[in-house]
Amino acid sequence: MKLTAQQIDQLYLFTRQHYVEYYDLQTELVDHLANAIETEWEQNPKLTFDEVLNKEFSKFGVFGFMDVVESRQMALGKKYNRLVFQHFKTFFSVPKILFTLTMTFLLFKILKTSIYNDYIFIAICIIYFGFIFHEFYKNKKIKKVQKETNQKKWLFEEIINQYGSFSGALTFPFYIFTQVSSHAERYLSNDYWLFSVSLMVVLFGILNYILFKIIPSKAEVHLKQTYPEYKLENL
Amino acid sequence: MKNSQLYKGSLNTIIMKLLEENGKMYGYEITQKVKAITQGELNITEGALYPALHKLEAEGLLDVEIEKVDNRMRKYYKLTESGQKETVNRLSELEDFIRNMQSLVSPSPKLEF
Repeated sequence: MKLTAQQIDQLYLFTRQHYVEYYDLQTELVDHLANAIETEWEQNPKLTFDEVLNKEFSKFGVFGFMDVVESRQMALGKKYNRLVFQHFKTFFSVPKILFTLTMTFLLFKILKTSIYNDYIFIAICIIYFGFIFHEFYKNKKIKKVQKETNQKKWLFEEIINQYGSFSGALTFPFYIFTQVSSHAERYLSNDYWLFSVSLMVVLFGILNYILFKIIPSKAEVHLKQTYPEYKLENL
Repeated sequence: MKNSQLYKGSLNTIIMKLLEENGKMYGYEITQKVKAITQGELNITEGALYPALHKLEAEGLLDVEIEKVDNRMRKYYKLTESGQKETVNRLSELEDFIRNMQSLVSPSPKLEF
C-alpha cells in the first residue's frame, strides 16, 4: 500500500516536531520513513499508520533524528569552510595577489607617513566593526521575516547567512585592534609591526568581503549545487 | 549495527561498493540491500547510514540527484569521478585488511620442515 499525499504531509510535520527544522533533511527523512512504512505494511497490513511510524522512528535510537541533523550540520559546515578557503586562496594567486599586496603597501605607506596614523587606524576599526554589525543586523531582520512567513529553511542557506564557524572568528580582530590602538606608539612606529598590522587589516578585510559579499551573492548557485531539489521548490 | 565496532570502520566502503555496483541508490534502498546480501546478518542503522552518506557527499565523493517518486521526493546518491577512484583504493585496502586478519586469526599451517 502506498502512502497518500496527506500522510506524506503528516510525515513532514512529524520530522518538524522532532526538531528537524530544515527542509532538505526533512525531505530525505520523510522518504526514508515512507519507504519503511510501506515495507512494514506489506508484512503487517493491520498496523495503523501511527503504529508503524513509531516503530520505524524508534530505529533511529534514543536521540531520534538528532544524530542525522548534527552530522549534516557538520558536513555542510566543512563544505562552507572549504568554500571560504577556496575564495581566500584566489587573493594569493595571480592576478588578485597584486591587489592584496598593493592594498597592504598602500596602507603601510599611509600609516607610516601620516602623523595622524593612530586616528586613521581607529577609523579603520570603526568601519570594520560597523560593517560587521550592519551585516549581522541585516541578516537578523531577513531571518525574522523568513520565520514569520514560514518559509522553508535550507541548512546550507542558513550556514551561509550565519557565516558558519566564522561568526565567532570575526570578532577576534577586536582584541588585536584594541591592543594596537592602545599601544599605538609601539606598534605603529616600528616598520615590521606596521607592515604586519597593515597585512592583517587587509586579510581580515578580504575575509569579510568573502563572507559578506562574494558567497552570499552566489548563494543561489551554491544552493542549487548542494540541493537539486532547490530548483524544483523555487520555480 | 551488529558488532558495530568491527563494522563501523568499513561502513563507508560498503556504501561506496554498493553504489559502484548499482549506480544510484537512496538511503532506505542501501539498508535493505545490505540486509538482503548478508541475509539479515548485517543491519545498517539509520543513525549511522545518513551521517556516513552526508560526510561522503561533503567530501565530494558522492553526488546527489532528486526524483519525484509517488507523491514525494527521493534523494539518490551516486559516486562522483573522484568517488569512483576512491572506491578502488578503499576496496583494495579492505581486502588487504581481510587477508591480514584472516592470517592472524586462523594462520595456515606452515609447510616448512
